[in-house]
Amino acid sequence: MKRTNYLKGLRVTLAILFFVPILLYFLDFAAVLPDSMHVLLHMQLMPMLLGGMIGLIGFQFILAVVFGRIYCSTICPAGVLQDIINRIFCLGKKKKKGIRRFSYHKPMNVLRYSILGVTVLAALFGFSGLCLLLDPYSNFGRIAASLFRPVIMWGNNLVADQLMKMDNYTLFHVTISTVTTSGVIAASITLLIFIIMTVFRGRLFCNTICPVGSLLSLVSRYSIYRVSFDKEACTHCGNCEHTCKAEAINTKDLTIDASRCVDCFNCISSCAKGGLQYRYTLRKGTVNSTSETATVDRMEQPAANSRRTFLATGATIAASLPIVNTLAEPKKHCRRNRNRLPLTPPGSISLERFKDKCTGCQICVTRCPSQVLRPTGLEYGLDYMLKPRLAYISSYCNYECTVCADVCPTGAIKPLTKEEKITTQVGIAIFHKGKCVVHTEEKDCGACAEHCPTQAVHMVPYKGTLTIPEVNPDLCIGCGGCESICPVRPMRAIIVEANEVHKFVEKPKEEEVKEVEVDDFGF
Amino acid sequence: MKRRDFLKTSVVTGAALSLNFEGLQAALSSNTMNVEQVPDMVAVMGGEPEVMLDKALEALGGIEKYIKKGQKIVIKPNIGWDRTPELAGNTNPKLIKALVKKCLDAGASKVTVFDHTCDNWQKCYETSGIADAVKEAGGIIMPGNDEKYYKEVSLPGGVSLKQAKIHESLIEADAWINVPILKNHGGAKLSCAMKNLMGIVWDRRFFHQNDLQQCIADICTWQKKPVLNIVDAYRMMHQNGPQGKSAADVATLKSLIISPNIVAIDTAALALFNQVKKLDMEAVGHLGKGESLKLGSTDLKKINIKRIKI
Repeated sequence: MKRTNYLKGLRVTLAILFFVPILLYFLDFAAVLPDSMHVLLHMQLMPMLLGGMIGLIGFQFILAVVFGRIYCSTICPAGVLQDIINRIFCLGKKKKKGIRRFSYHKPMNVLRYSILGVTVLAALFGFSGLCLLLDPYSNFGRIAASLFRPVIMWGNNLVADQLMKMDNYTLFHVTISTVTTSGVIAASITLLIFIIMTVFRGRLFCNTICPVGSLLSLVSRYSIYRVSFDKEACTHCGNCEHTCKAEAINTKDLTIDASRCVDCFNCISSCAKGGLQYRYTLRKGTVNSTSETATVDRMEQPAANSRRTFLATGATIAASLPIVNTLAEPKKHCRRNRNRLPLTPPGSISLERFKDKCTGCQICVTRCPSQVLRPTGLEYGLDYMLKPRLAYISSYCNYECTVCADVCPTGAIKPLTKEEKITTQVGIAIFHKGKCVVHTEEKDCGACAEHCPTQAVHMVPYKGTLTIPEVNPDLCIGCGGCESICPVRPMRAIIVEANEVHKFVEKPKEEEVKEVEVDDFGF
Repeated sequence: MKRRDFLKTSVVTGAALSLNFEGLQAALSSNTMNVEQVPDMVAVMGGEPEVMLDKALEALGGIEKYIKKGQKIVIKPNIGWDRTPELAGNTNPKLIKALVKKCLDAGASKVTVFDHTCDNWQKCYETSGIADAVKEAGGIIMPGNDEKYYKEVSLPGGVSLKQAKIHESLIEADAWINVPILKNHGGAKLSCAMKNLMGIVWDRRFFHQNDLQQCIADICTWQKKPVLNIVDAYRMMHQNGPQGKSAADVATLKSLIISPNIVAIDTAALALFNQVKKLDMEAVGHLGKGESLKLGSTDLKKINIKRIKI
């Protein structure tokens, strides 16, 4: 009795085509995949909204108007991840306990539109923290970067160790250094929420919490193509209702809530009679084919109900305004020390701009070849949580490297040329002479000057044959070469302090190449 | 029959003529006879890296004297920086390629090349041209980017550095060859054969914390010493070392020095360095400290040096 469901096949194929490359892109610790794959990330809605990519937003809008929320079932990696969780949960279970475990629930409109409204307002007021916390793509990114990736790296190390014994170095041992406690905690919480919600209520996250889902639902409720009942064929068996992950099918009234339907097309498969069809539907819920099969549409919900929802939503948003306001306010008083600012990646232009645009998806963290970018915890305040910062703990920002800017989907790290990169000053190295080993031990060191790519840190005569570092702030770009290698502990003797607004320095002067003629060994 | 005799005679004569009696002539003219006159150090100037290597090894009596058939050999160049060969931050890839080939030709069972780099290791291996050079020559290029690859050894002769984690390829090797590039160095003042050993250890921070010059000398006391040190001075970074900024920091010397004696070769390299930039022996503290640890002599008059100009 099973009908071939091409639509579901198409949905699954598209989902795989988007999900697998994005997942691999996050997991690729050896930088095998080309950086240009970041174009896939530009299809994600939240980054494109924050990045103000009008063309792509328009495209997504048309997609939703025509086909409904196919974004949620194919393009959104968090959506697909939830489908995978659902699939895993269903393994080895009978249909009733597995794929047919759902049932219709009313939409939580007040909640979801309040969340959407507050998120939008907060972002408009300059606090993008809610975008960061709620954006499905960024949450997926954090799960992939902080949970899946270290597991893959660990697995790689196990295999690499075995291969090494056979003199094969195609795989090599990798150091897992960009995983921070805060990153792991945040990712674990999200993954747990995904699992719990998916197991008990299917796509509940997408239909209540996710602001992207709520935004799309505003459009998809008017979508031209949608799943609708064929009343003549329907036998009221309820299979479709129990299959619907979005819990949007009401078999009592034969309605399907298009605002929550994520176009997974599982319902179509579930119906042996062909009682559900994805087809062109007119606004008022009348189907263009035989008028008898018209669906009762959710648009005909009592007007009072939708007005009540609207008012309640409005009231909730209004009530949350003071909180939004406090969050959005620049927290000068919170900074214990004005110098303690996070170092933002080159291309982010200024701390404020970066805070507004970054959603903490961690793609830059995973792609950084020097592994110098790390997700931040709460050490720089709530509004910098989970965003990447340059941490010169054991590595530094490679001189001519622009990878983070190339891959950033929101434009929080703006693409910059090599020339711009090597002249962008993200901070300045401050030398603390009193701590330097040349001063305290009176022994040679010079590790900092050794690693300085611009010779901003250079050695000048000290006592006897000893030389001591000196910083030329006009050449320093704050790459952290010096700080990362300084042997002094616990506080290093040379520390890069962040520029709140990035500056530009002169390019190091090219010296003239002098021909040196040597025709004797000298010994 | 006459013709056959004639041919025989001419072949024998030809063979005899092609024999080289230079050594004999020299011995005859100076009235002394040196048995097996192998120099302690050979310095070559004026050729391409692989040509100079050929000449130098020939003068030393061939690489077979230092490595044996079936041995596992490690070659340790300087691949510290993400720099092209022209900028002289790393050992010349042509030299490494020729050396890997020589080792394999001499019957080495396996030739491994690695360095504990300063910049991102993959970029260093690639940009330096050394990864490709090693692969082309049939050697193995091994990573040195993780503590996993290093094993603890004790250095009883060390003053500041008593133990260190050394790359396992060296620990497992039957013999190894140290192939530094000669350059200026902000901290150690001179980076050459002794300083190149800093790239065989994992924890370099300890060096900087505990008297860099002493630690450099200490690491050279490791009981498994390089069978040969080959100093690449084809291009030499005379300022802004060890990383260098531009081609203005580089002088082309087209030179190569080879010796089993690590202190002597660095002393000679320093003298060569002084042909371009002044640098006092006193400033290069690890030389004197190496001599005190009986790693070799800084007195070049005591040793037999062969100089070859091409």
